[in-house]
Amino acid sequence: MSNYIPTIGIEVHCELKTKTKIFSNSINGYGQMANSLTNVIDLGYPGTLPTLNKEVLNLAIKAALVLNCKIRRKMHFDRKNYFYPDNPKNYQITQAESPIGYDGYVEIEVNEKKKKIEIEEMHIEEDTCKSTHRGTKTLLDFNRAGVPLIEIVTKPCLESGEEAKLYLEKLKELLFYSDVSDCKMEEGSMRADANVSIRKEVSDPFGTKAEIKNIGSISNVKLSIEKEIERQSKIYDKGETFPPQTRRYDDKLGDTVLMRIKETGNDYRYFPEPDIPYLYITEEMIKEVEKTIPMLPEERKKIYLQKGVSETNAKKLIQNRPLSDYFNTLLEENTNFQTASNLLLGDISAYLNKTEKSIVDTTLTKERFLELIAKIEEQALTSKNLKDILVDVLEKTDTITDIIKNLGIENISDNETLRKIVQQVIKDNPDTVQDYKSGHDRAMKFFMGQVMKQTKGKANPKIATDLLIEELK
Amino acid sequence: MLDKTIEEIHEALKKKEIRPIDLVEEAFARIEKNKELNAYITLNKEDALKKAKELETKEVGDNLLFGLPIAVKDNIITKDLKTTCASHILENFIPIYNATVVEKLNEKDMIIIGKTNMDEFAMGSSSRTSYFGAPKNPWNKEKISGGSSGGSATTIASRDVLFALGTDTGGSIRQPASYTGIVGMKPTYGRVSRYGLVAFASSLDQIGPMTKNVYENALLLNAIAGPDDKDLTSADKEKEDFTRLIGKDIQGMKIALPNYFMSDIVTEEIRNEVEKTKELLESSGAIVDYVDMKYLDKAVTLYQIIAMGEASSNLARFDGIRYGYATENPKDIEDLYLETRKNGFGKEVKRRIMVGSYLLSGENAKIYYNKALSIRDDMKKEFDKIFKDYDLIIGPTTTTTAYDLTNPMDDPSKSFMDDVLVIPVNMAGLPGLSLPIGFGKNHMPIGLHIIGNSFEEATIYQLASFLEKKLNLDLDPRKENENV
Repeated sequence: MSNYIPTIGIEVHCELKTKTKIFSNSINGYGQMANSLTNVIDLGYPGTLPTLNKEVLNLAIKAALVLNCKIRRKMHFDRKNYFYPDNPKNYQITQAESPIGYDGYVEIEVNEKKKKIEIEEMHIEEDTCKSTHRGTKTLLDFNRAGVPLIEIVTKPCLESGEEAKLYLEKLKELLFYSDVSDCKMEEGSMRADANVSIRKEVSDPFGTKAEIKNIGSISNVKLSIEKEIERQSKIYDKGETFPPQTRRYDDKLGDTVLMRIKETGNDYRYFPEPDIPYLYITEEMIKEVEKTIPMLPEERKKIYLQKGVSETNAKKLIQNRPLSDYFNTLLEENTNFQTASNLLLGDISAYLNKTEKSIVDTTLTKERFLELIAKIEEQALTSKNLKDILVDVLEKTDTITDIIKNLGIENISDNETLRKIVQQVIKDNPDTVQDYKSGHDRAMKFFMGQVMKQTKGKANPKIATDLLIEELK
Repeated sequence: MLDKTIEEIHEALKKKEIRPIDLVEEAFARIEKNKELNAYITLNKEDALKKAKELETKEVGDNLLFGLPIAVKDNIITKDLKTTCASHILENFIPIYNATVVEKLNEKDMIIIGKTNMDEFAMGSSSRTSYFGAPKNPWNKEKISGGSSGGSATTIASRDVLFALGTDTGGSIRQPASYTGIVGMKPTYGRVSRYGLVAFASSLDQIGPMTKNVYENALLLNAIAGPDDKDLTSADKEKEDFTRLIGKDIQGMKIALPNYFMSDIVTEEIRNEVEKTKELLESSGAIVDYVDMKYLDKAVTLYQIIAMGEASSNLARFDGIRYGYATENPKDIEDLYLETRKNGFGKEVKRRIMVGSYLLSGENAKIYYNKALSIRDDMKKEFDKIFKDYDLIIGPTTTTTAYDLTNPMDDPSKSFMDDVLVIPVNMAGLPGLSLPIGFGKNHMPIGLHIIGNSFEEATIYQLASFLEKKLNLDLDPRKENENV
């Protein structure tokens, strides 16, 4: 559409998955009764002081590591002073001067080319409370006040809505997989702002910036950036300009809407938080945290492919963290991994979705799963039969062999019984024997169909095929 | 009974000759008699009597503080007991939790008798910024008691109770102690938990004991000191007995007397008293040297920048939304903020919030606040240098004796100059104590300021108790008033 060059920077707020809040021992929880997860510290009562939740520090270090950030060894918190009803102390404790992480990157793949999205800095801060406007009244829920956040700020190095989308998907995957955050945008545990400007030439100075605040989903980030580029282009095309501003994305309108014109020099009167002494991060602390980082998506994919899992299945597995974690427990075993992934992503996923269970809630131990795969491999179980026994496989603790036996769907693998049936089928269909001999593929399928019909589907397909070939010679 | 020594009271309690309720009733009778001194904002009568009753069934043991009434400055949070900070904005504020020091007093079975008067949010040095009017000096009711812990100083000096807690951000325990002839200690920053102290300037505030003598002062510090998980700035120090050096000889003790403390900013009569004390110490075997110290004259400027900067942020939470006074029927949120804070805060508090906000604004934060923090480090190093060669530093606590309640208040910088000698100690986070050493021409008390190295409170008490015994002053203003 336009021949302008967009420059985009993304700021992401991510709630850390801690048990308690950052500066008090209130529970960090979502969806609870309003103001049930608060105490005098969260409410900013006179005389209260912050304590520091060590878990926050560990998760922030972890985030810095997976985002390839350098980690600051001596840091402090700062007060950001501004009056707003959702800000209980009327200052927010944040890190302005000494963010814990800096100079990091996240690698994405755009049009099959790798690109590093550079991260300027990553800092720790407390969340504000949630305000709900009802007519002229505003209701405040302090459950969110003091929930630990990390804010991740990229350099203005993104060039399209698509890149922003890929970056956020990757970021979400990394933070989710490293157990730093739930990253649920719909619950607000991950929130994104985009800074967008455009210019004619790379040699031109950056254009005027518009900030799109609090975009509710990754796809909307992409859409809103594209709409914003379009809007700015039209203004410049007309030879006009616009002031720096804050906008939001209106989902129904499918466009960005002006919130406010930015006033020059927002004055937050930052100064070092005197209630929290300097923090020192040691090499040992970083090493300890490093040990807790689970296998990340990139590495998972590499290993899955090596183990013979298809590209499609590998991607699907990684998108489903619990299944991928479960799958990882098999990696040391000698089994057919493609079959394993097919089972997990197919019938088992269908069952889990229907019952709203997680794989770890089922009775499918590693041993039983390996047994199941083996049965399928030796064709002792047809796909139809698998569907019949699936509930038992996932809810009972009997061995797979016993389940098959008990349901009476045990294959006829007895050679002599099958041979008789095969011989009968050949005898009854002399025309098809002719077809077979003249090289028609479907003849074999027909014979198999007949064998299955005679055995009510219980014939072991592998043995039956072998016998057919033998008898037809 | 309250005029007896603490050991005598303790013995009487132990032998059940008296009950805690007798002490509480006596204290309330005295407070009633001294009502016009205006030492208290809120009395805790019902609750104190109830608690005293409850203690009757409890073992006294060897707890010297058992059952003794204590007054608490009104910027220290007390559960279910009004905590106003002497401000209209918290006039009816009843907290739902206890400060750590209050929990510690409860552990010692002390009985909170009431909340003492003070400068609004501890901002002032004469307690005259109190929304409830200033307390009066028991030595002369025309004079100030000092501030900001003026109420606590008044109630100790007038012998209502044996114990009081004060707070000291820039001299607010030591200066009123000096003006009223009592013993006031500002402990090392971090020695006493600040959890539940309504913050004025977080990096300077410290709670400390105010008593009529040195021994009782050290006893109360024993009770309130110690690390606290709720305060990250509290120091992780082992429990120690602050009375342990009391009565020990001071032979060979090395004491520094900075020239600046004896310059002409201090009145001649006070300098003479300090000089006499110096001679007494020397004749008792101590070594007292005049020393030069850099930066002492910069302390007030630094204090104004750091304390007002921090205060502007600390007091932002009083917005009428969650607690305290709120304007009625505000038009919008802006109006709620403006009207609540305009009507809720007094003039001096508003002035400091405004100056503090300005000092942290934009580039000013770098020009003023960060610069002040860096000079503050230099000042701390200057003290460190002195403490390499000396055990203690002494000087006068104040430049004058207590002045008239009617003195003009229109020059805000004058009020800071009242604290010029005590502020450097807050800047360096050191412990400092004021001890009465004599009287001026108008028979108003004069205090000696004893400064120790970090966490050396016990050494301060050693010197203070030595002087107290040697000087053996009559420090009871009631006799003085009878003579008049």
